[in-house]
Parts: sequence; structure tokens; C-alpha cells
Amino acid sequence: MTANYHHKIIILASLLLATATTKLTAQDSAAAVTTLSVRYFLPENKLPYIEVNTKKKVGRKFDPVTSVPVNIYFNEPAPANLLGKVITGKDGLARVFIPASFKSAWDSLSEIKFIAESDSIKGEPALSGDVTVRKAILVIDTTNADGVRGVTAQLKERKGADWVAIKDIEMKLGVKRMLGNLSVGEADTYTADSTGLASAEFKRDSLAGDSKGNLVLVARVEDNDTYGNLVVEKSVPWGKGVIADTHFWHRSLWSTGNRVPVWLLFLAISIIAGVWGVIIYLIRQVIKMKKMGKDFDAALLSRTT
Amino acid sequence: MENPQKFSPEKITSDLLPQPFGRRGKLWTAALLLVALIGAFAYIQQLRKGLVVTNMGDYVSWGIYISNFVFFVAISLVGSLITAIFRLADVPWRTPLTRISEIIAVSAITFAALIIIVDMGRPERMLYLFLHGRLQSPIMWDVIVISTYFCTSLLLLYITLLPDIKIMIAAREKLGTPFAKFYRWLGSFWKGTEAQEKMRDKSITLICIVIIPVAFCIHTVTSWLFATTYRPGWDSTNFGAYFVSGAFLVGAGGVVVAMYVFRRVYKLEHYITERHFDKMGKILVMLALLYLYFNVNEYLVPAFKMKKDEEAHLQALFTGDFAPLFWFAIIVGMIIPIFILVFPKGRKPNAMFAAGVMVVVGAWFKRYLIVTPTLLHPFLPKFDAPARYSHYFPSWQEWAITSGSLAGVLLIITFFARVFPIISIYKTITDHDSELPS
Repeated sequence: MTANYHHKIIILASLLLATATTKLTAQDSAAAVTTLSVRYFLPENKLPYIEVNTKKKVGRKFDPVTSVPVNIYFNEPAPANLLGKVITGKDGLARVFIPASFKSAWDSLSEIKFIAESDSIKGEPALSGDVTVRKAILVIDTTNADGVRGVTAQLKERKGADWVAIKDIEMKLGVKRMLGNLSVGEADTYTADSTGLASAEFKRDSLAGDSKGNLVLVARVEDNDTYGNLVVEKSVPWGKGVIADTHFWHRSLWSTGNRVPVWLLFLAISIIAGVWGVIIYLIRQVIKMKKMGKDFDAALLSRTT
Repeated sequence: MENPQKFSPEKITSDLLPQPFGRRGKLWTAALLLVALIGAFAYIQQLRKGLVVTNMGDYVSWGIYISNFVFFVAISLVGSLITAIFRLADVPWRTPLTRISEIIAVSAITFAALIIIVDMGRPERMLYLFLHGRLQSPIMWDVIVISTYFCTSLLLLYITLLPDIKIMIAAREKLGTPFAKFYRWLGSFWKGTEAQEKMRDKSITLICIVIIPVAFCIHTVTSWLFATTYRPGWDSTNFGAYFVSGAFLVGAGGVVVAMYVFRRVYKLEHYITERHFDKMGKILVMLALLYLYFNVNEYLVPAFKMKKDEEAHLQALFTGDFAPLFWFAIIVGMIIPIFILVFPKGRKPNAMFAAGVMVVVGAWFKRYLIVTPTLLHPFLPKFDAPARYSHYFPSWQEWAITSGSLAGVLLIITFFARVFPIISIYKTITDHDSELPS
């Protein structure tokens, strides 16, 4: 009875394991298909660009798929609407800026669709992807109430002739640093209130800025389903002025080749000159010996004649 | 055994003049050429595809090429030991060994320079080292000192050769025509006049004085390439002396092997005598003891402290992946030769040859052990590095190029022995004259 029960458990466990393995394998093989995604970017409310990304899921992570030719269209996948042809790079990314020839079409629309298509290559299926965005701009500003500094940002959508602030938009307000943006306050993201204004108190005192103490504030809307990616910057004199350490340009062992320490230069030149002086002297001795040999031959010749 | 002092100058000249290759010589040369050609083929592949054909990577960026470079630099030091130090110390039995050591020095330093260019991957960038070089960098010092040592060694070889060239020009009937023009071009001006002799003698003394510090510099600077970087096993104030002592040992070992081979091949038993082996044996055992002493300092002291950061490197050497090589280099490259050479019977030619081979082979692996294990065990922890970065085994291209360079060194020595006397005829005759009773 007990043995029979154990057998059942073993059979059930084996079946479960087999099913799980099959599922996992199936998941992996299903994920090994290349995908094409499209993103819209508007930096500094100026020239927008479209970025395409080709990637493939390998195991638990995505690997970039390189050298994929992609055509990017404006609104409709027709030759007349072709924004550009790109080939994805090492990171699987490629981008195209919207050409000036599309200005009138761009101005006439409030919502635009961007379509990316790639023909089938190397046995891979044809790829396509699209993104639809509403036209918007991002505005950044600063406040100073009773000595408390603040950063505000608004995402504005075009309605008729006006730009209207949009509420409930999540955005990031930060200060540009060397390796990324540091949030101006304690929260990572800030949401626009009912008036469409996202605001944060600036709590990053004594941050190192440039030589005049300027910092660069950054407001970002990232991967918004309706408006895409927008980023805008503003320079403010809220940081601590930092004068670059100019020791690098002094003569030192770690400086560039033309800034050798004088003691090293003197030592090296003295040694090189000393040793090579001897080598040159020795070469001269050989030349002298050669001349002696010729003189000897000439003397011998004159004696015999 | 006959005493060479009884030989006439004609007999000495006849014995020591270069001889055409026999069947064994031709086979030897062909084998070396084949290895060198395979190395050249591998190098062309490396040139076309880049250093990606090697197994070097982010961690082991100095692999077998740099190990080989250090080995060549080390063995080249013998030129200064035998010729310069022995001459200045007026060692009377040095004559049959000086030219052997000089040609070993020239050929080894030539390939030391070439192997560095091979390691660079892009040879045309060598020029940038001179155009944009930083005098603050030990690499720059190495480039300067290698080219200086090469020129000095070549000059020493050439100036000491001059009287023999005159002898060879005179013996053109016996030697035939293949190299007659070359000999005339090299040294027809040498008449052996008193003034020329005086000038030559003075030049050799001067070059011997200069070559000793230059030779010390070349190996010290090479050691500084390692010691000026902060890495386990390299961070040592002892490195200069450690490298110089090792270089003397491998150089002397190389000369012993060459002495034995030339003695047998060219039947020079009356010139390279058992006395020479005995003397060189004593020098070799002293140098092996000295190098062993430096090794004890280099490894025992850090092992006693066993700092956490250096533990992985030391464990890899003593008991880990590199332990067989490490103990081979210590035991076969130093301890066994000491036990062989410390007894008079061990200083006979055959035993000396075996000891010399052990020293040279052990020394090659020792250089590999200085370079590679350290690079595999950096102070900074490896982060997100592929597993293959934790191991290094040279690719076939690396082996082929390295073997090709070793064959190249042997080819230079072989061709030199074919064209020039491997023992100075002139010096042997004059030694013989000066030792005759007046």
C-alpha cells in the first residue's frame, strides 16, 4: 500500500517536472523571436526624433539584434511618408530625425503615428512596430518663495491656438550629474496636479556646479503612452562654484608627455646623452680605423710603385 | 687530450674557421626555418584579424608574448657578463666563450624588440611611441634602453670581430667565395697596424665599461615595467635585483648549452675544454644560489604575511593552478642544477649541458609565472566578467609566434656560426703566443 503510494508520488512528480521543463523550454523558444519597438523623443521642445529598437529575448534578458534595416514612416507606411531608412547598431538601436519636408504635415496634425517596418532577412520573419503620440511640449521653471527654491514643470498639449497644461502626468525632476540625473527632492517622480503643474522643493544644497556654480535642472517625461519621451533642461546658479584642480597641467609623473618633471628630463637626457655619446664616439673610432686602413693601403701602394 | 697551446696558428685558424653546414646542420636549419615560417604565418593572421586571435583579454593583457620578451631580455644580459665583466676582471679563460655570449646577446635582444612589436598588435603604432611617447612611462625607458643595448652589443660584436675578418679574407681560398664580398665590405680596412690595434683595444675597454650599466639598466627597467604597477606579486622593491640575478643565471645557462653544442658540432674539444665547463659550472651554481635567494625573498616573505589581497595569487602559485609550473621552475630551474653543479663530476660537459637546459627551460617558465598569475589575480575584484577571463592559455597563434621567435634567435646564432668563427681565432692565437715561454 505504502509502496504503491510512493510510486504514485514519484510518477506525479516526474510528470510535473516534465511539464514544467516543457513549459520553460517553450517559453524560451517562444521568446527567441526578434521584436521591433518604436519610441518618440522630443528634446528641448525642438527637433523630434524616432528611435527603433530590435531585440531578442535570450534566457531572462533581452539581447540587442544588430544590423537590421528598418524603414520608418509618418502616419502611413507609404513611400511618400518615408521618414528615413536606418540600420540598427551594436546596441540594437537606430534613430531618425523628422526631416524638414514633413513640417507642414507635422503642423497640421495633433496626433501622429510612426510606423517602423523591416523586411524578412536571414530567415527571420518581417518585423513591424508603431507608436502613436499626441503633440506636446514640456516646460520647466523655478520658484523661490521665502528663500525656498523649487522646480516646476508642465506638460502642455496643443488645443486650438493654445498650449494647455495636462494634469496627472508623471515626470522626473532632477539635477544633471556626471553619470545621470539626481532627483531634486526625495521622491523619484512627481505627478502634475489638477492645474497640470508638477513641483518639487529643491533640496540639493551645496551641489558642485561649474566654475560659476551653475547647475542644470532636468525635467523628463519618460515612455508616456500618449506623449512619448520629452526632456527639457534649465541652467540655474544654485550650485557651488568649483574651480577645476589645475595640478593636472603641471609637470608631473602622471601628466602628458610634454610636461615631464624637470628632474626626470634632466636625468634621462644626461643618461641618454652620456651613453649615446660613447656609442657615437665608438662609431667614430671605427670610421677612423677605416681611414687608417685606407691610408695604410695607399702607403703600401706608393712604396711598391 | 691535446693542449691547444701546442697548436700552431695555422692549425688554430683551420680549426676555428666557419664551416659549411653538414647534413645535421642543414636539417637543424630547415627545422628552425619551418618553425619560424609557421610563426610568421600566425603573425600574418594576427595582423589581419587583430589581437583577437590571441587568448589575451581584459585581465591577462600581457600573456606569453611578454613572458617571452622578459626571457629574451634576460638571456641577452650574458653578453655583458662574459665579455665585459670577464674582460674588465681579466679572466684568462674567457676567450672561447666571449663570442658565443655576444651573439646570444645580439640575437636575443633583436627578438626581444620584435616580440614587443608583436604584442602591440598594430606595428605601425610603434612610431607613435617615438612621436608621442611619455618620458614618465617605464615603457618608454624600456624602448630607449633596449635600442641602446642592441646598438652597444652589436658594436661590441663587430669591433671584436675585426681581426678575425682579416683572417677570413686571407683564408678565402679555403672558405670559398660565398661570403668573400661580405667579409671585405665588413672589414677589409682592418690591417692590424699598431695604431688600429691600440684604437680597437681602447674601444673594446670603453664599450665594456659602458655595456655593464646599460645591461643592468635594461633588465632593471624591464622589472620596473612590473614593479611600478600595484599588483600582487609585482609590488616589490626587490624586483630590479631579482630580475638582474635571474638574467645572469639564464644567460650563463644559455652559454653553457651553446658551449656544449658548438663543442660537439664543430669538434672544438681542444678549445672549449672541460676546464671551461668547470669554471662556468662554478659560476652557474653561484648564480643559481643567488637567484634562489631572491626567490625566497620574493615568495617566502609575502607567504609569511599572506595578506588577504595577495592570498589568491600566492595560493595559485603554491598549491593552485600554477603550482606544477611554479615548483618545476624552482626545482628544475634552480635546485636540481645546484645539486648537479656543486659536485666536480656535475661540472663535466654532459652533466653541465643537462643543467644548462634545465636552467634555460626553468627560466622560460619562470617568466611566464611572473607575468600571467599576477594578471589573473588583480587587487580589484572581478565584476561581471565572463568566466573565461579567469583563465589564460595561449592560442595556437601565440604558441606559433613565440616558438617562431625562439627559432628566430637560434637561426641568427646558427647563421652567425656559419659565417663567422664562433671562437675568436685572433684572440686564441694571441693567447697562445702570450702563454708561450719566451
